[in-house]
Amino acid sequence: MPPSVQVSGLSRRFGEITAVDDISFDVGEAEIFGFLGPNGAGKTTTISMLCTLLRPTGGRATIGGHDIVDDPAGVRREIGIVFQDSTVDERLTARENLVFHGELFGMAREDIRPRAYHLLDRVGLVERSNDPVITFSGGMRRRLEVARGLMHWPSVLFLDEPTVGLDPQTRRSIWAYARSLRDTEGVTIFLTTHYMDEAEACDRVAIMDHGKIIALDTPDRLKARLGGDVVSIAGPDNEGLAREVRESFEVEPRFENDAVEFNVEQGGEFLPILLNRIEGEVRSVGIRAPTLEDVFVTMTGHQIREAEASEEDKMRSMRQRGFGRMR
Amino acid sequence: MTVDQATVATETGARVATGRARPETGRANFLQVVRVIWMREVLIYVRDRPRMISAFIMPIMMLVMFGEGLGNSIATLPGDIGYRQFIFPGMVAMIVLMNSVFSGVSIVTDRQFGFLREILVAPVSRSAICIGKIAGGATIALVNGLVMFVMAPILGIDISLEIVGKLIPLIILVSIMLTGLGVAMGSRLRSVESFQMISQVAIFPAMFLSGIFFPINNIPAWMDVIVKINPVTYAVAPIREIALSEQLSALPADAPFQITHVDWFGYTLSTWEEIGIVFVFAVAMLTISIRAIRTTE
Repeated sequence: MPPSVQVSGLSRRFGEITAVDDISFDVGEAEIFGFLGPNGAGKTTTISMLCTLLRPTGGRATIGGHDIVDDPAGVRREIGIVFQDSTVDERLTARENLVFHGELFGMAREDIRPRAYHLLDRVGLVERSNDPVITFSGGMRRRLEVARGLMHWPSVLFLDEPTVGLDPQTRRSIWAYARSLRDTEGVTIFLTTHYMDEAEACDRVAIMDHGKIIALDTPDRLKARLGGDVVSIAGPDNEGLAREVRESFEVEPRFENDAVEFNVEQGGEFLPILLNRIEGEVRSVGIRAPTLEDVFVTMTGHQIREAEASEEDKMRSMRQRGFGRMR
Repeated sequence: MTVDQATVATETGARVATGRARPETGRANFLQVVRVIWMREVLIYVRDRPRMISAFIMPIMMLVMFGEGLGNSIATLPGDIGYRQFIFPGMVAMIVLMNSVFSGVSIVTDRQFGFLREILVAPVSRSAICIGKIAGGATIALVNGLVMFVMAPILGIDISLEIVGKLIPLIILVSIMLTGLGVAMGSRLRSVESFQMISQVAIFPAMFLSGIFFPINNIPAWMDVIVKINPVTYAVAPIREIALSEQLSALPADAPFQITHVDWFGYTLSTWEEIGIVFVFAVAMLTISIRAIRTTE
């Protein structure tokens, strides 16, 4: 199958800052493709360029064969977009939002209403079709946006941080729907996230940091790259433990969750040797399979800054619920 | 919303029901876009009850305040044209002016809600978006202007249906000119507060120095310059000339020109010439607003 998204050497500079730095990748048809990275890594900038909202300063990209610079209208017909922040009109009803979108995208009159009904049904909003969106919760709004993004039968659906600020139930339902879209309609789903569990659920993940793609593969293969297991030890003097581990075993330890962590081939066999050889006081040990977070930390040398992100999540979810919004 | 076998089955069923899995979505034609943007503006207006109600209260307030209060202290008008009768067409122009310019705020609120992005990412012509917005704002302004005529008999204003019919196309033209200004402003300003401030700064001189409240034939020279470059002047004059055509024709030959028509260095413009100037301004505003929408992000 031909790739539905082809990107080569794409770059975007804002003055002195290079937000996206010469990235290249392909996304296949009916694939769930994830962009994982901290805020400010260039994920949204990349999506904005692919959605023709922002002109690249270098490189090129096509979606469904349409060039993002030469044929933006072609690209826009090919894609559906769900933005990070709400873009529904809360004074209109759920159905009116979809009908408006259908008209704007030149859908045939006889297709608009059945399609709107069908999508509202799929996202579980059919009973609320005629209610103004202002009465909707954040989760309902997001589901409505997903439905709207799909109105005009796009072949690629872009979801920019689709589940930020949503409750776990809504997150699960959006994911279940995304998978069913891929399986039953062959829609390619291109999403950005800074949640590890969401990245794990993607068919392939591109890890992005400082505007560059530093790794791109299936979540399993990315984790397999690290090899073996993650061993963590903790004691009163973690600095000392790290020094000892580095000298005795030639591994590169890192500090995480008040513990010293490093990767080894066979965690189970390594543990007795470790405990025999090490002289500092050890209060706890653990072995686990590597996660994408470990991949990220190993490749970038820093964490994905969950704390900072979750503050922003709270703000965003409040905004989506309509608190503190100026009229 | 859980995805189990049952919903997957409905999914397939629904696709069969809609006929095609993925119909080709053609490019929306220009008029379809204009229509849907216009419809949304009007729909939102109709649902906004307080805004609707104030449209009916405004004219009464205006006429009572200005007609009675100001009228008693203003110089006498020729013939039997009372000040209330004189100011009524001006009030219509004022209502149209305020509604037209303020309608541009919808672009600012669309931007704040994020909805503007939904519109701007659609594969449609920006000119169509702009014309749809202007059509919406102009419709609302026209409706508000028409409310004035509906209220006219209650307010003791003498105006025939025939004259109202003649005024409608002119009011539409004036609304397009002024909504164009509102839309151009709305696509440049980022907050409702700054929009309100700037539109007031623009509306007040445009309103007071346009002949809405007093005849412009006997004013200081510096004021005369502003009045003559004010586009609203050329809108107020023909509206008043048409609205008062019966009363004005009863006056002595040269009197009507003194209180209504715009005068350029001794040359008195005819009603049609004034309308022509409004038309030129309307085309200019339309062009400016389309350019503003095209380059907005």
